[in-house]
Amino acid sequence: MHISDGVLPTAVALGSYALSAGIVVWSLRRTPTDDLPKVAVMTSAFFVASLIHLPFGPTSVHLLIPGLVGALLGPSAFLAIALGLVLQCLLFQFGGLTALGANLLLMGLPALLAGLVFYHFKGRGKKQRILVGALCGGGATLFSALLLALLLASGGEDFMGVAKLALLAHIPVVLVEAGVSAMVVSFLLKVKPELLDIPFVLKEKL
Amino acid sequence: MSGTLPVSVLWLLPLLLLPLAVYSGFRMLIGIARKEQGAEERDWSVPQIEFEGGEISAVHRWDVRFKLASFLLLAFLIVSLQHPQTAGAALLLALVGYRLAAIPWRRGLKRLLGMAGFLSMFLLMLPLTAVQQSSDLVLVFGSIDWLNFNLRGLDLAILIILRAATVALLMEPLLATAPLPVTLAGLARMGVPRRLTELLLITHRYLYVFLHEARRMQIGMEVRGFRKSTSLATLRSVGNYVGMLFVRSFERTERVHAAMLARGYQGHWPQPISFNVRSGDYLKAGLVIGIGLLLVICDQFLGG
Repeated sequence: MHISDGVLPTAVALGSYALSAGIVVWSLRRTPTDDLPKVAVMTSAFFVASLIHLPFGPTSVHLLIPGLVGALLGPSAFLAIALGLVLQCLLFQFGGLTALGANLLLMGLPALLAGLVFYHFKGRGKKQRILVGALCGGGATLFSALLLALLLASGGEDFMGVAKLALLAHIPVVLVEAGVSAMVVSFLLKVKPELLDIPFVLKEKL
Repeated sequence: MSGTLPVSVLWLLPLLLLPLAVYSGFRMLIGIARKEQGAEERDWSVPQIEFEGGEISAVHRWDVRFKLASFLLLAFLIVSLQHPQTAGAALLLALVGYRLAAIPWRRGLKRLLGMAGFLSMFLLMLPLTAVQQSSDLVLVFGSIDWLNFNLRGLDLAILIILRAATVALLMEPLLATAPLPVTLAGLARMGVPRRLTELLLITHRYLYVFLHEARRMQIGMEVRGFRKSTSLATLRSVGNYVGMLFVRSFERTERVHAAMLARGYQGHWPQPISFNVRSGDYLKAGLVIGIGLLLVICDQFLGG
């Protein structure tokens, strides 16, 4: 779910702009120049995947896949999500201008965390990788929903009800994300397992 | 006016239907806009790199750096407004600006529709869950004592919607009045890292390639009898589909990168875009920021 303009207090909007700009620069530094075209192409693939809607009972949810972005791109994940959000705003007339920083934080931070968790706990076994993939997918979405609720609640006590509703609305999304992430990881293990071996380099590498 | 105002239970119905009405109103508007555009589906294989129209308005002729800086500042000034009156005035001014920029209405409508679901949530929840203060006017519905409708909450929801709609309308004159490479070159001149703007350009090109590819794969699945439902089978099919999308994109990446290196790519492209500042650019920036500041000052006076 995107936060739209006009919801967040101006100080929060400006603060999240500054913070996410800092993380984008960090993410850009950790992406080797040779990898830039790869990030661009993978970003487009993630973008297209996020347009897929899945039915869940009477409603439908659309994929966010922050967990997979993190697992497949490592530290470049934040950069990829920044590109995706800016293009969505430019070309598909969707997403906020003053809320861009906040939206970037609430999707990018879970992706980075999922990448780190996947890198450290994926292990060698097939079953373990699928399980960790599912946990990353579901967990990243849950983290993202929590950040959304936190940002909404920054508006004051009046917004607590809305924040709770937003959190509740994400429960089906968390389940679907966990399922799809598990399936994608199991597919990639069969077809192109090297995609899952992206190193999460924390050393400066230019 | 403050205190509690007991009203009939029947009042609950229109007040709760209000968000629904707003949401379906938006849907109707987008339906009208689609008809205006013609019902045929857009061909995603044709990249939408250029914007529509030439230098047709004053906004189109504005230097892109000044445009970006002034509109961004204006957007932040608008989301700082604290009263529905000033936010409403801002929305009217944004509508006038939108008209002056000569942009098709359907683009702005699409932005508004994108927010409709999110904003309806505020319209539904804020009046019911806003914390009751001593100065609030609260409607109590007959004998239902756990549900009260706080009019300050409704005011707050309306304020949020007005601010959101104003900024959404501003974004079209900001982003749709120059070709993407020019906007990005402007951003690069303003200090955004070149690597970032060039990545945006490459990503933009690939986006359409993959939209096309995804559409083809989807048609293939439908031809083979795939229908979405809430089931494990759907989850598996969609998982394979997304996985295949990643594999294809990754393999394409390697070929593309090799081809780019073969053509002498060294991390950036030549950008034959030059900017020259005219006095009109300063004038327009002054006008836009002046309007924003004026709105904020009026807003302060209303605060009392």
